[in-house]
Amino acid sequence: MPKRSILHMFDPMINNSPFDINMALDTGFDVLMPYSNVKLESIHGLTQDAIFSRSPAGIKKTSLFIGGRDMGLAMDMMGAAQQAMVPPFEVSVLADPSGAFTTAAALVACVEKQLKEKHNKELKDCKALVFGGTGPVGIATGVIASLAGANTFLVDHMSIDAANDAAKEYNRRCESKLSGAVAGSDEEKMALIADADIIFCTAKAGIQVLSAEVLAHAKQLKVAGDVNAVPPAGIAGIGAMDASIELNSPAGAIGIGALAVGNVKYKVQHKLLELCLSSDKPVYQDFRDAFTEAQKIV
Amino acid sequence: MEKSFILHMLTTAKNLSPFDVNMALDAGWVSAVPYTNVEASEVKDLIQDVIFSRSAKALKRTGIFIGGRDTKQATDMLKMAKNSMFSPFEVSVFADPSGAFTTAAGMVAAVESELDTKFNTTFEGKTLLALGGTGPVGQAAAVLAAQAGANVRIIGRQLDKAQRIADLCSDEFGEGKIKIEAGTNDDIAEYIKTANVVFATGAAGIELLSAEHIASATQLQVAADINAVPPSGIVGLDAFDNGKEIAGSTCGAVGLGALAIGNIKYKTQSQLLKQMIDSEKPVYLHFEHAFEVARQIVKSTK
Repeated sequence: MPKRSILHMFDPMINNSPFDINMALDTGFDVLMPYSNVKLESIHGLTQDAIFSRSPAGIKKTSLFIGGRDMGLAMDMMGAAQQAMVPPFEVSVLADPSGAFTTAAALVACVEKQLKEKHNKELKDCKALVFGGTGPVGIATGVIASLAGANTFLVDHMSIDAANDAAKEYNRRCESKLSGAVAGSDEEKMALIADADIIFCTAKAGIQVLSAEVLAHAKQLKVAGDVNAVPPAGIAGIGAMDASIELNSPAGAIGIGALAVGNVKYKVQHKLLELCLSSDKPVYQDFRDAFTEAQKIV
Repeated sequence: MEKSFILHMLTTAKNLSPFDVNMALDAGWVSAVPYTNVEASEVKDLIQDVIFSRSAKALKRTGIFIGGRDTKQATDMLKMAKNSMFSPFEVSVFADPSGAFTTAAGMVAAVESELDTKFNTTFEGKTLLALGGTGPVGQAAAVLAAQAGANVRIIGRQLDKAQRIADLCSDEFGEGKIKIEAGTNDDIAEYIKTANVVFATGAAGIELLSAEHIASATQLQVAADINAVPPSGIVGLDAFDNGKEIAGSTCGAVGLGALAIGNIKYKTQSQLLKQMIDSEKPVYLHFEHAFEVARQIVKSTK
């Protein structure tokens, strides 16, 4: 009997995300095995149990998926899994906590494309703000944008300390150059966005972060992307379906909506899962690989 | 590639029931994925992750099963799941906590059939005792019988708990259109004298009706017991009995045992799981739908 493909899904949360389950089965994995409440210390043992129970041929049909809600923990888990491999007993690993890596990768790639096409600019020429910047998608977005050269700020709506801490932690982990910022009131937002070239909105679904009035103060804004699919939109004037809509702003900014980003995200996650299945050598994929794929897709 | 059939199985308990997993896979679902310790507050996010990760076409091959031990939680979660979806991002949902909805449906349909064939009558106006009726099966069975016209009394060990459950059944599950009474085990000897129908849905191995009770039950027509572990919940009624006269009955009452009921339950649950796969439009299934199916099954096997 040919070996069936197995995806072991490690998750520090009580439950795996049904999103990832649907995606993995639709990519063609034969069997999914959820592991919930997984601790970082358990990754070594779980990984070795996964690699030592199949022949080298069987191992090619075995992969690990790391989920959860915390980007740092997912990266640590990825590292622990990688360390536990004993070549040739080695399997592919994909980390995508909360889908944050693939969502962030899709968001930044969509914004980068509009930036080039409509404003002839690169990320490295730009100042970028990430609203909802201390959540999983926000941090991943910030890291990807910063590594691509943008002068990027993680914006928290309540605490400058939370924003600075997150920036510091992920700069250390990912060698990015993030800064922190806070903006709760409309006045603070107006001041902050005055010289921003890019705005990423990764705040909670159903909350409007930037109103039309606030947006009018973004004098240099070139592209804004929103991942919130639940009305009202995170940024006034951007509909969820908009792939490239001109916003009512001083510098003719372009807006990108959640479903346009989501469409790319879906393809990125599918592609990364497919690489786990089809690759002859084991692949370790995180937000960097997600971004590379997203750039190809857009 | 045709998308495969995925059933996302949610439970508030620590584990899914292997019964439900076997049933789901045997009904044709290819993957059965467990989500355990699920809290009500998580339902919306889980459902939205389900619906936003597949195309509308593939969602026809996607379903949600709600297990757990608590009928109220499960019906609430069913409602929440339904409210978290919007067209065309919709999938079928089936709630059957502890298998209670399908077990209750099987029992009530079997009793109804006995009333019809042996006594040429219906639930309408019958005095019905739901012994051990505060559990999930008792609750659903009480509601179904009351909706069919019976005057139902839920009997528990403590009156206040029995009363609370009776009110929950009347107001919540019966939407205020039925009125279920409460009583305690201490008064069974009195209640049994006028009872026409008895459901025994207590814990396994506990005797609810003694030989004396049976002898004094002069109005009794049908008694059903879901307990498959000896001793029987009703003395004189065996797990295999399927409409046989109860030993010691002075009025020719017949009995339905756990295995006869279990057979209908099994078919009902399987059929509902298949209905989720086959239905063109999303379906939202609970004890009332289980009862419709169980009635058909009982009719077709007559």
